[in-house]
Amino acid sequence: MQKDKFFKAESNVVHPNETLVKTHCAYCGMQCGMNLRVNVATNKIIGVEPRYDWPVTVGKMCPKGVTAYQQTNHDDRILKPLIRDDASLKGTKEGFREASWNEAYDLIANKFRELQVKYGKDSLSVFSGVSMTNEKCYLTGKFARVALGTRYIDYNGRFCMSSAAGGFLRSFGVDRGSTLPWTDIHETDCLFIAGSNTAECHPTSMFRVWNVQERGGYIIVADPRETPIARRADVHLDLKPGTDLALANGILNLLIQNGYADEEFINNHTNGFEETKELVKEFTPEYTSELTGVASKKIIRAAEIYGKSPNAVVMFARGIEQQHKGVDNVSGYTNLALVTGKIGRPKSGVATFTGQGNGQGGREHGQKADLLPGYRKITNPEHVAEVCKVWKITPEEMPQPGVSAYEMFELMEQKTIRGLYLLCSNPAVSAPNLNFVRTSMKNLDFMVCSDFYLSESAEFADVILPSVTWSEDEGTVTNLEGRIIKINKAQEPIGESKPDWQIQVELAERLGKGKYFSHLKTAKDVADEFRLASKGGNADYYGATWDKIDKQDGVFWPCKDENDMGTPHMFLDKKFYHADGKAKICALPYRPPAEEPDEKYPLRLTTGRVVYHYLSGNQTRRIQFLRDMCPEPYVEVHPETAKKYNMDHEDKVRLYTRRGEAIYKVKITEAIRKDTVFVPYHFGHEQSINLLTIAALDPISRMPEFKVCAAQMEKVEIKKVQ
Amino acid sequence: MKKRLYLELENCIGCRSCLAACTQCGGHEERNRNYVYDVNPLVNRQTMPLMCLHCVNPACARSCPAQAIQIHETGAVLSALVEKCIGCQNCTIACPYGIPKFDTEQNLMYKCDLCIDRTKNGIPPMCASVCPSNTLQWLTDEEIGNRKKQFNLDNGKWVSSLPYLESETNVKVNLPGILQGIEKLF
Repeated sequence: MQKDKFFKAESNVVHPNETLVKTHCAYCGMQCGMNLRVNVATNKIIGVEPRYDWPVTVGKMCPKGVTAYQQTNHDDRILKPLIRDDASLKGTKEGFREASWNEAYDLIANKFRELQVKYGKDSLSVFSGVSMTNEKCYLTGKFARVALGTRYIDYNGRFCMSSAAGGFLRSFGVDRGSTLPWTDIHETDCLFIAGSNTAECHPTSMFRVWNVQERGGYIIVADPRETPIARRADVHLDLKPGTDLALANGILNLLIQNGYADEEFINNHTNGFEETKELVKEFTPEYTSELTGVASKKIIRAAEIYGKSPNAVVMFARGIEQQHKGVDNVSGYTNLALVTGKIGRPKSGVATFTGQGNGQGGREHGQKADLLPGYRKITNPEHVAEVCKVWKITPEEMPQPGVSAYEMFELMEQKTIRGLYLLCSNPAVSAPNLNFVRTSMKNLDFMVCSDFYLSESAEFADVILPSVTWSEDEGTVTNLEGRIIKINKAQEPIGESKPDWQIQVELAERLGKGKYFSHLKTAKDVADEFRLASKGGNADYYGATWDKIDKQDGVFWPCKDENDMGTPHMFLDKKFYHADGKAKICALPYRPPAEEPDEKYPLRLTTGRVVYHYLSGNQTRRIQFLRDMCPEPYVEVHPETAKKYNMDHEDKVRLYTRRGEAIYKVKITEAIRKDTVFVPYHFGHEQSINLLTIAALDPISRMPEFKVCAAQMEKVEIKKVQ
Repeated sequence: MKKRLYLELENCIGCRSCLAACTQCGGHEERNRNYVYDVNPLVNRQTMPLMCLHCVNPACARSCPAQAIQIHETGAVLSALVEKCIGCQNCTIACPYGIPKFDTEQNLMYKCDLCIDRTKNGIPPMCASVCPSNTLQWLTDEEIGNRKKQFNLDNGKWVSSLPYLESETNVKVNLPGILQGIEKLF
C-alpha cells in the first residue's frame, strides 16, 4: 500500500515484560493506528505506543486516541449481567442486581417470547450502532431478522452518516464515503471543507490539511463558527446554520457562469446538468449572500479558487448532513466536483469525514431498516434471495423493511414496539428531542441493553448485558477512506463480559434459532460468513480476507475475490454505479431549516463535538484526562450577543427551545456568528443539548436536524446565600 | 542522524494530544510536563504549545544550587535528580519560559526530559510522535534548514528567527507567519 512523504520508519519502545499489540483506535472514522502496551504477566492493557508504520496516520493520535486504552480496565466496567426487578426505577441507575448469564438469558428469552406471542413478531426492536466491528454489525442484522424475526432494526448511523449515504447513492449510485485514499489529501491543490470541524473531530487529518497550504494550495471552509481550521483557511464562508444548499447552489452557479464546467466530462459521464444549470441560475452571489449571510465577495472568491484548482477535493461532515435537507446538501456539494470533472482521478474527488469508528462498514451490511449485507436492499427480491441462501432461510421468512432510528421511538410511544434490544449506542443522549425519546424508552414493556459501562440509556433497561471493549475482541472495521482494517485482540475479556456476537449467538440458541447461529464459534467464523453474505453486493468484501488486510495495510472495498487488491480510488474508469454508468448532477431547490428564528426564539442553535469527547460521551467522560479538559457543556456566544442579553463570560443561562431547556455556562468567543449559539452534545441527563434539538427528519435519509433550530436564552440569576 | 524537536506554532489546533502523550512515555510517572495555551481566549481559537526548549546554557540548571539538573550528551536538559533536588524551586523562577513544574508532596521539581529514554536511541519523543497537526515535529538539521528556506520572506528575514532570551536552544521554534513566504500555486 502507498507510503507517502509523512511515512517514517521509526522504531517503538518496548518496555520490559510488555508486548505491543497493533490495532486501531476505539473512536472515530479516522481509525488511527496504535499499539497497545500489554503486560505479559497479567495479560492486561497498560498503555499505548504510537504506530508509526500505519500509512494513514503515521503514529499520530488525538487525546482521545492516546487515552483510549484506559477504557478497558476501567473501574466503571460492568462485569456481570445486571437485572432490575422493580420497573418503577427505570430511568435511574438504581435497583440493579448482579445475575448469572443463565438467569439473564432465560429472562430475556421468556420476555421476548411472551411479547411476540401477545403482540406479534414486530413488537420487538433492535437499536444498534456502528462503533463496532463489521462482524458484529453484520450479525446484529441477521440476529434481528432471523433470531427475532422482527422488521424493526435500525441504528445510530441515522444520527451520523445516513445523509452522506443518501447523497452519494443519489449522485454516484454507490456510497463509499471517500472516493480517494487519505494519502492523496495533502497532494491536492484545494480543499473545500463544508460543515466539518476537522481539527476537533478528525484531528489526525490535520497534518495533511495544513500541508496543502504549505505547498501553496488553498483551504476553503464553510462553517458558522471560526473553528481552528476556519481560522487559517484562505476563505472562511461563515454561513448561517442550515443554509448550506443555498451556498452550494450559489458556488455551482458561479462555476458554470465563469466557464469552469467541464463539458466533456458532463456530456460523457453525467446526467441532469441542464436542469441543474437552470435551477442554480437564481443563486446569484447577491441572492446567495442574502440567504446564507456570507459576503458575496467571499462566495465569488471561493468559487474562483475551486474552479481554477487543477485538483481539488470537496469534503464535508455532520455540519451539512445533520439537517432535514442533509441528503440535498451532500448532493449539492458533490455537484461541484461533477460539474467541474474534479473526480475519478487521483488527488481529486469527494469525501465525507465519517463520524463513527465503523460508520462506513456498519451502514453497509444490514443494520439499517431497509438494508441487507453488501449494501443490498430488503425491498429487492433478488437481493433478498441472495442473502437468504447464506442465512439458510426462505424469502418468506425475511421481515419487511422497518423504520428509521427516531421513528422507532415514535412506535414505542404508540406501543407498536414494546421490547427493545439496545447495543453499542446511547440514544438517551444522542437522539434529538430527548424528552420524548426518554419517555418512549421508559414506557417500554421490556428493554435489554448491552454495554460495557452503565450508560444513560442503560438506565432505562430491565437487563444489562456486559459487553467487551474493542480491544478484547477482534474483527474488521471500515475507516473513512473505505479501507477495511483489522482490530486485534489485546487482552481477554474482563469479568464475565462477552463480545456482542457471542451474546447474540447464545441468545439465538435460547430463542430456539440455534441452527442458524451455533456454527459461529469465533469472530473469524462470523467474518467468513459475512464476507460470503456481502459477495456480489455493491459493498463487496468477499476478497478482503484478514490475511490480505494484514499484508497490504488494509483493503479498500469493493474487493471481489482472492486476486482483487481492492479499490483505493473510485471511478478511475469514469464509470459510476447507476445503471447507465453515469453520475447524477442534481437540481436541488433550496429549503430553509425546518424551524427558522422568530420573535420568541430569535437565535439559531447549533451543536457539535469537542476534541476531548466522542459521541454521547459515555466512554470519554469516564477518562480522567479528557474529563479534566472538558468536564461540562457550555454555550458559545458572540460578545455582542452576550452584551444584548446582559451576560458575561461564565454566567449561567437557561437555553430553551419549543422542546426543552437546559442550563449552561456562557463561553464568550468572537469565533461564532452573532445570530448563532453553539453547545457540544456529549453530555447526559439534564446537561444534554438534545433536550432542545428538533426531530425534523430528512425525507430520504431520515436524519434529524441536529444542526439547527430556533432558540432563546435568559440569564439565570444566582441567589446569593447570606 | 541527530534529530531535534521542531515547533511550528501556527499549526496548533489546541487538541492537547501532546499533554496526553507526555503521560504515556513510560518514564514520566504519568504526569505531563508541557503546556498548551489559548492565545486569545474570548476572541478566537488560536492556541500554542509551550515546550521546554532545552537551552544550550539553561537558566534552570545554572540556578540550581544542588546541581540536580543534568544536561544529557544529546543536549536534553533533564528533570531534577530525585536524590539531589532540594526543592528550592530556584529553577521554576529562573526559567524564562516557566517550564519546570513542582511537586509539593515530593518536594521535587520535574520537567520535560525530551523523553530521554526514547530520544537517546533515536526514537521520537511522545509529543512529536502523536501531534496530529505537525506543530511538533522531530527533524534533522537538514530538514529544519529546508523548512527555513521554504518560509523565506522577500525581505530576507525568516519570520521566526528571533533571538531567544536564553540564546541558543536545542529545540527550534517557528512563530506564526509560516505562510507569509509561501508562493501560491495559481
